[in-house]
Amino acid sequence: MPLIRREINVRNPQGLHARPAALFVQIVSKYDSVVTIQGEGEKVNGKSIMGILTLGAQKGADVIIEVEGDDAQIVADELEALLTDEEK
Amino acid sequence: MKIREFISAKAVSADLKAKDKEGVITELVDLIIDTGSIEKKSKKKVLEVLMAREALGSTAIGQGIAIPHAKHKSTKKLVGCLGVSKEGIDFDSLDGELAHIFFLLMAPIDSAGPHLKALAKISRLLKDKFVRERLKGAKDEEEIKKIIDQEDDRLMSL
Repeated sequence: MPLIRREINVRNPQGLHARPAALFVQIVSKYDSVVTIQGEGEKVNGKSIMGILTLGAQKGADVIIEVEGDDAQIVADELEALLTDEEK
Repeated sequence: MKIREFISAKAVSADLKAKDKEGVITELVDLIIDTGSIEKKSKKKVLEVLMAREALGSTAIGQGIAIPHAKHKSTKKLVGCLGVSKEGIDFDSLDGELAHIFFLLMAPIDSAGPHLKALAKISRLLKDKFVRERLKGAKDEEEIKKIIDQEDDRLMSL
């Protein structure tokens, strides 16, 4: 199965706070791919808002997403669009 | 950052009485007002910004936890409170579970960093199922304070 690994610079003005974290999980839950997100060494499940919040990723922080599954491409693209959205 | 830096010992309730979202947010805000961190005259506005934030998407993050939060000029630093509902409250959580553990946070308008750090800290604390169960089962405020003190020390030593 395709595995996509992408390093993304978080552009959300408040960082990866509760709302983008919830939206992240909503995207992941729509698809079949398995997603992890990693920041500063720690890797967490992309379906856990709590896990994502533990990263405390501020605006400008780099995170790595790993997406594995047949729909990996579209999932990775949607997640990247979310994390780089300066309105969220 | 330690949890007790933004949750004062007085801002804790082991037995929230409210039955719905707006009720519990009001009860939590009253808890903060009682500690003097936010003035009573700001109550209405503070409730408004918290409810407006909920309207954007629930702050229930799953596994029985909700973190209502917002920014308002009535506070110059990050303040919060912690409440437990034994019965649980429907908070429109993504996982469909009732929320039992509530951390309410109010941050000054121009801040981003401390807010995010506090969310990270709370998530780290509550990731542990054992901690969640202990908080839910706490018989009084003293017991909750003890749990937070212990966990603050444990998380700092990691």
